[in-house]
Amino acid sequence: MTLVDELATAAAKGNTADVEYLLQEGAQVNGVNCFGRTALQVMMMGSTPVAKVLLKYGADPNVADTSTGTTPLHDAARTGFVDTVRLLVEYLADPQARDNTNCRPIDLARANGHEDVVAFLESL
Amino acid sequence: MAHATSIQYEPVAEIGGGAYGTVYKARDTESGQFVALKSVRVQTDQNGLPISTVREVALLRRLEQFDHPNVVRLMDVCATQRSDQETKVTLVFEHVDQDLKTYLERAPAPGLSPGRIKDLMRQLLCGLTFLHSNRVMHRDLKPENILVTSQGQVKLADFGLARIYSCHMALTPVVVTLWYRPPEVLLQSSYATPVDIWSTGCIFAEMFRRKPLFCGESEVDQLGKIFEVIGLPPEDEWPTDVTLSRKNFPPLMPRPIADFVSEITEQGAQLLLNMLTFDPLKRISALNALEHPYFQDEETLTQTKS
Ligand SMILES: Nc1ncnc2c1ncn2[C@@H]1O[C@H](COP(=O)(O)OP(=O)(O)OP(=O)(O)O)[C@@H](O)[C@H]1O
Ligand SMILES: [Mg+2]
Repeated sequence: MTLVDELATAAAKGNTADVEYLLQEGAQVNGVNCFGRTALQVMMMGSTPVAKVLLKYGADPNVADTSTGTTPLHDAARTGFVDTVRLLVEYLADPQARDNTNCRPIDLARANGHEDVVAFLESL
Repeated sequence: MAHATSIQYEPVAEIGGGAYGTVYKARDTESGQFVALKSVRVQTDQNGLPISTVREVALLRRLEQFDHPNVVRLMDVCATQRSDQETKVTLVFEHVDQDLKTYLERAPAPGLSPGRIKDLMRQLLCGLTFLHSNRVMHRDLKPENILVTSQGQVKLADFGLARIYSCHMALTPVVVTLWYRPPEVLLQSSYATPVDIWSTGCIFAEMFRRKPLFCGESEVDQLGKIFEVIGLPPEDEWPTDVTLSRKNFPPLMPRPIADFVSEITEQGAQLLLNMLTFDPLKRISALNALEHPYFQDEETLTQTKS
């Protein structure tokens, strides 16, 4: 496993301490793992602390999935983690981004019944 | 069993590497959602998959039909033939983007409210009651395997595969945490569904403490840490089929559980002790735990109404 693979895995597992350590060790925050994804794209969406560390280190919040056009904000909105949604927006994730099915994050939040996320994204 | 996993499910990150195979977070390109892919390599002969594997998969599928709210959905099962002797069986589970470990870490000080803990415990025990009533034991319950949705719904992951896996264990030794293991497993005695109740007790305590209850570094150390809290069990409760003797441990008396888990109510403490009972036969069952007075007070009643 490369350092970036490890970073992506730690992010996906919601392991904040490991994410921070790997970044300090020089793992590229916007590097892609062996599946072609960045750590922010694969992170555990409910782990706002992991999101925070990655974003502080300069993770690009607007990388879309190569197959589906999904951004991290789409995923956080679909799964309903409002704290992560707020944080991504604070770090300039684009709320108007559209995935390959032409959905915006707010559309996914609505479809999945996450009223708090819908309300927040509407307020922007 | 269908095939062609690779097209519909695209792995995006590795999230677990057990003794038997790897677990991936993947994207279902049809729905756009994340899934968890778990694959096991099984040896095949001219008759195809071994009967034990077919049975296990059938059991998981049968469980799935109940659509239980507190276990992760099994969405798909795929088999891909690798060679004449080997087939890869991939189980596709619903992916939940938060585990209990993260959920506990995220809770602002001073931690989860008593009502929230009770609600999580009730859901956890409902999931376990369901598994146990179908004669499935989890065997590896820990905060990382207990998932919590953004709506606070608990879903158990990583269950029911124990038997598939144990038939096909590779030789790679894996480091597994001992902290949630019951005495009978640490002593390598025989075990059954009460193992999960012990683990649940450890997790119950951890919800209050926000750190694990017993952090042993080896099997013997783990047992020592357990006896420091529950006391050394009486001679007649020590299993007879084990090599480790009771004499290896100092004759400790049980200590009040409130010394280790402050803020727990009287009834909570009582339930916790019923779960952290040395003798698996005397340990409370998941079903009886749900009927414990801890779950019967007013706080609970208002919670279920809302
Ligand atoms: N359905 C799921 N949704 C989200 N995360 C999952 C799911 N299933 C498993 N995981 C995560 O992946 C991790 C590893 O998965 P799993 O426990 O199945 O593999 P393992 O190899 O047995 O690892 P471990 O020994 O840590 O239990 C789990 O600890 C859990 O956090
Ligand atoms: Mg496991």
